[in-house]
Amino acid sequence: MNKFWLVFLHEYKRHVMRKRFVFAILSMPLFVAFIVFVGFLSVWLQIDNKPVGYIDQYQILENPQQVPVEKKSIFSPVPSLPFADEASAKNALNAGEIQAYFNFSENYMSTGEVTMTSNEKPGANAEDDFGDFVSYNLVKGMPEPIIERLTDGSNITVRSLDGSREMGADNWMVILLPMLAGILFIIAVNISGGYLMQAVVEEKENRTMEILVTSVSPTQLMAGKVVGDLLVGLTQLVVWILFLIIGLKVAPLFIPDMGSMPAIDGKYILLIAGTMLPAFVMIAAAMGAIGATATESQEAQQMAGFFTLPIVVPFWFVSQIMFNPNGALSVGLSMFPLTAPISLPLRAGFTNIPWWQTSITITVLVILAIFSLWLSGKIFRIGMLRYGKKVSLKEAFRRS
Amino acid sequence: MSTINVEQISKSFGAQKAVDNVSFDVEPGEIFGLLGPNGAGKTTSIRIILDIFKPDTGKVSILGGQMTEEKKNKIGYLPEERGLYQDISLDRCLIYLATLKGMDEHEAQKRISEYLEKFDLAASKKKKVKELSKGMQQKAQLITTLVHKPEIVIIDEPFSALDPVNTQMVKDILQEERARGTSIVMCTHQMHQVEALADRIALISQGKTVLYGTLANVRQQFAKEALIVRTSSALPAELPGVSEIEKTNSHNILHLVEGQKPQDILRELLTRNIVVEQFEIALPTLDEIFIEVVKNKGVSE
Repeated sequence: MNKFWLVFLHEYKRHVMRKRFVFAILSMPLFVAFIVFVGFLSVWLQIDNKPVGYIDQYQILENPQQVPVEKKSIFSPVPSLPFADEASAKNALNAGEIQAYFNFSENYMSTGEVTMTSNEKPGANAEDDFGDFVSYNLVKGMPEPIIERLTDGSNITVRSLDGSREMGADNWMVILLPMLAGILFIIAVNISGGYLMQAVVEEKENRTMEILVTSVSPTQLMAGKVVGDLLVGLTQLVVWILFLIIGLKVAPLFIPDMGSMPAIDGKYILLIAGTMLPAFVMIAAAMGAIGATATESQEAQQMAGFFTLPIVVPFWFVSQIMFNPNGALSVGLSMFPLTAPISLPLRAGFTNIPWWQTSITITVLVILAIFSLWLSGKIFRIGMLRYGKKVSLKEAFRRS
Repeated sequence: MSTINVEQISKSFGAQKAVDNVSFDVEPGEIFGLLGPNGAGKTTSIRIILDIFKPDTGKVSILGGQMTEEKKNKIGYLPEERGLYQDISLDRCLIYLATLKGMDEHEAQKRISEYLEKFDLAASKKKKVKELSKGMQQKAQLITTLVHKPEIVIIDEPFSALDPVNTQMVKDILQEERARGTSIVMCTHQMHQVEALADRIALISQGKTVLYGTLANVRQQFAKEALIVRTSSALPAELPGVSEIEKTNSHNILHLVEGQKPQDILRELLTRNIVVEQFEIALPTLDEIFIEVVKNKGVSE
């Protein structure tokens, strides 16, 4: 077993200490940060904080006041300025003092009719902020709890019949987590499975393999490589998750409306780990075997596509899984080994999965992971030295 | 007791028979030359010995039995095409491969430093393997083969890409290893190196053993009735008992009539007062034997 650790450590260090690994690990959070920044920039460009005017000739608002700013935000609300008549509002508009003005109709209270006048399209926030200003002044004077309910709306919690699973409007984590875990899983599988495949093909191409197999048994070699690569993938995931947590802690400082991060159920994390870890071993071992059978790295890349494609399939059916989590398709996807790592946690976010389904899925995945390791060790033994010749599956089963 | 015992091994790949009923033994403290033209089945035989391939029939015994994981630590192997990790530093690569042979890291580091000094590679130990020249990589590969003090060394073309100085050094090292009691199996096309180093040889052609024995026996077996003669004055155009005189730059080759004794020729030269500087029975070189055997084998088939 000693040599297993040597192979494992070598494989892990070999990838983690490479510059391109550090680059790969940092590029993802930087990319996300860039996307968020661009998103903010585009919102910011659409926002115009120049005041809007209003003409309230029918005295609809009583002693109007600006909406008090409760939370700190990078986007402050657009102030609403009163004008006595349309002519003065028009002058202010033409002078560039306001971006638009609103004129209440006589029967506003029954129809809600308001006309807006502007020279160019007003900022995206102008209408909303004026709406808030009107609502605030209309309900002013009512008891505080009523005002709060009227302005903030309801907080609906969706609960399953037996009460064991619930999802509030705030608990966006239930949807986000499996989706995010799924995306990270796909990326990790592709990156580290790719590393493994590449490593095997390289060792085959530069003939290091001959030295290795006369020093270590093929099974130890393969197991060391797969586990080493699994840890490379996990290292990558842990770093990304750390960045995500930092991001989620930092983001509310800038986006007050985002709310605090909801607590994540420990069982849920276990479910994700229980499906994704064996699935990872299964796919990584298969990719290692592909590396051993392929004659050159380009061919190996093409063959690897067959394994990565089914993993993505559940994303095409996200809406089916969300709205009909106990339908045949959802159950099927969550139990089929290649689609399970993403479908099962996703389904678990919307329904109570019977324990037997979870147990069967995880057991099958673990068995397949062990089988895949064993088979790849075998294929590896036959395929490693047959330069320029492929190994058929039939051969893998038949020969030692 | 033989360290390697190969008994009638055969191996086919599809319809092609790569090794056909090959047998030989390798003793402790000897250099054994495994020779043969390209595609003769040498590498397949080696891979069967190393348990990379299983033979279809026949069996191989290594250090008194079947190959085990422990026995792998007692074997040093230098494959025909070099196998080192290209994108890591030389010392890291060597230490990793040495620890895979059962050495502890500290000991491996110490011994690798000694070898790096000896092979004049110490200054390059932090360089990536791919930055080294072919000859340097060859020396590095030799370190991997020998660093764990193996009982069996199997080397395929050990002298390729080496300059004369390094070739001599490798020859000295192989001789040192032999003196230590190591069994060395050497595959090479450089016949003069085999002549200089090998104690016994096996020649494989088209998967079959066509020659097997000590170097001296094999050469004796192929000795033709000819003499190498160098004289200070010119030889007469004809000599009794000599069918043909072949002149080379440095000497003459005298082909004898069948049944003619070399002593009679020497006597004849001395009676004619010719000063003889060199007189020896012409044994064929291994190169000549190789070509003859392989060609004949080709013709007979």
